[in-house]
Amino acid sequence: MKSGVSRWYKPWHPFIFVGPLIIGLFLFRLGPMIYAFFLSFNRWNIISAPVWVGLDNYVELFTSDRFLSILGNTLRYSVTYVPLVMIVGLGLALIINRQIKGIAFFRAAFFSPVITSAVAIGLIWSWILAPRFGILSYISRTLFGINTPAFLAQSATALTTVAVVTVWRMSGYIMIIYLAGLQEIPNTFYEASKLDGANAWQRLRYITLPLLTPTTFFILIISIFESFKNFEIIYTMTRGGPGISSTTISYSIYQNAFVFYRMGFGSAQAYVLLGIVSIVTVLNFMLKKRWVKYQY
Amino acid sequence: MMTGRMITRRVLVYIILGAIGFVLVFPFLWMVATSFTSGRAIFRLPPRFDLMFTPQMFDNYVTVLRDYDFILYTINSTVVAGSAALGQIITCSLAAFAFARMRFPGRRILFVLMLATMMIPLEVTIVPEFLLMMYLGWLDSWAPLIVPSFFIGTFGTLLLKEFFENMPIDLEDAAVVDGATSFTLYRKVYMPLSKAPLATLFIIAFVNNWNELLRPLLYIDTRRLMTLTVALTTFQSEYEARWNLLLTGSVISIIPLLIVYIFMQRYIIEGMTHTGMKG
Repeated sequence: MKSGVSRWYKPWHPFIFVGPLIIGLFLFRLGPMIYAFFLSFNRWNIISAPVWVGLDNYVELFTSDRFLSILGNTLRYSVTYVPLVMIVGLGLALIINRQIKGIAFFRAAFFSPVITSAVAIGLIWSWILAPRFGILSYISRTLFGINTPAFLAQSATALTTVAVVTVWRMSGYIMIIYLAGLQEIPNTFYEASKLDGANAWQRLRYITLPLLTPTTFFILIISIFESFKNFEIIYTMTRGGPGISSTTISYSIYQNAFVFYRMGFGSAQAYVLLGIVSIVTVLNFMLKKRWVKYQY
Repeated sequence: MMTGRMITRRVLVYIILGAIGFVLVFPFLWMVATSFTSGRAIFRLPPRFDLMFTPQMFDNYVTVLRDYDFILYTINSTVVAGSAALGQIITCSLAAFAFARMRFPGRRILFVLMLATMMIPLEVTIVPEFLLMMYLGWLDSWAPLIVPSFFIGTFGTLLLKEFFENMPIDLEDAAVVDGATSFTLYRKVYMPLSKAPLATLFIIAFVNNWNELLRPLLYIDTRRLMTLTVALTTFQSEYEARWNLLLTGSVISIIPLLIVYIFMQRYIIEGMTHTGMKG
């Protein structure tokens, strides 16, 4: 800071401004993160004193079939959710990216599930998908003469169903971000390609998609993060069942810590989740160079 | 001039838009339709619309609002989400002002810490957070629902920081010449000029807190303190087959947000796109 310029604030003023944020950051993010790490080496049921057990919780996690299938469910959920929401979101953005009458209305309508709570959406879809009395099963019976499976009551379909419902909820959000990306592509590219005789598919393949890669990268990252935060919709639609067929790590942390009161074991799972999130992020940034193009 | 082919194309676009719109909006319509149906009539298929739109169509609403206390839960949700959102605009605007306009030691590292911890799912920190709340004696109160989002808001800080940085610096110089300190500058110059982004932030924070489930589920035991989301899931476990009442409750939980959304959708959509964070 130059001494000639009169400073309009004392050196300690900034700390008053960022004070609340610092308190919040330490009390509700960093502090808990560090404490969870410590807890993950303890056995603790909240009532008696915590017992240091070293790596026991982690050993138990990775040697139990139960947790390995929960891990599998978590990845299966992400692998279903991420590509689907990205494709549907991009599709919506491509359709809605035009200046015609009423487009604002459609955009608002497509976005409306995003602001609705996971609870309300979980309840609506549970009712629509209900076996026998659900409207979907009725439609399928009358139109095709087939009974729909009990989507949420069957191990084979429960997790996928929940993931697809979340795609339905979030694709409007992805659409909006893609839309912003699409509107940044200079129109001259399309005009030039039209002169060269490129058809719609070629324009999408050779202009739109390559120029969208920075947006796609960003969306990939946030969709992956979003895919791990699935507690609310699972709690509402399946409570992790039937059996543990739709239990993901998110749900399992809640269950172990607050239903079985295994605070340490729950924290160890929280750290596995944190580990997965970190690895995926690092990997993404490493692979970024290969396919993301920032230059026009 | 539109050629025949262009008109066909346009019609096709509207048909596609309408079809997608139907898929996205149908569940809401079906929910509303179910909420108008009384008793066992909800299990009647094909759906009988003549049984839905009768003089008794609002009976479920009366039942849910009066006998199942949804008026109270709506008020609770409003107070909780409102206070948390108010906290967000205070904390975020203060921090954003410092980040945008002041130099201080630790500025960069604080900013990086804030961004780096933004992506951590709540599930990772919830166990120690719960213990902290227990230690503070805040269990079964609204404090744990309000205080964490009161004190931390990465999204809002980013949004406002960028807005403040783009404000003309002359404003500041003029005020400083008049002898304003940083606090009057923040309060008398920056805040009044930032009504639009502050409103955007308030609404987005309100929506996110309104929809939150994990915290209310863990922290609230007393029925009269419950928010709408946790009241709905409790209701769901207790009266599993009473879909009409359950969906009536869902409609009630959505309506206030929907009203805000209809009037403010441009701000909500732009705000959420802007820094790319929903939460």
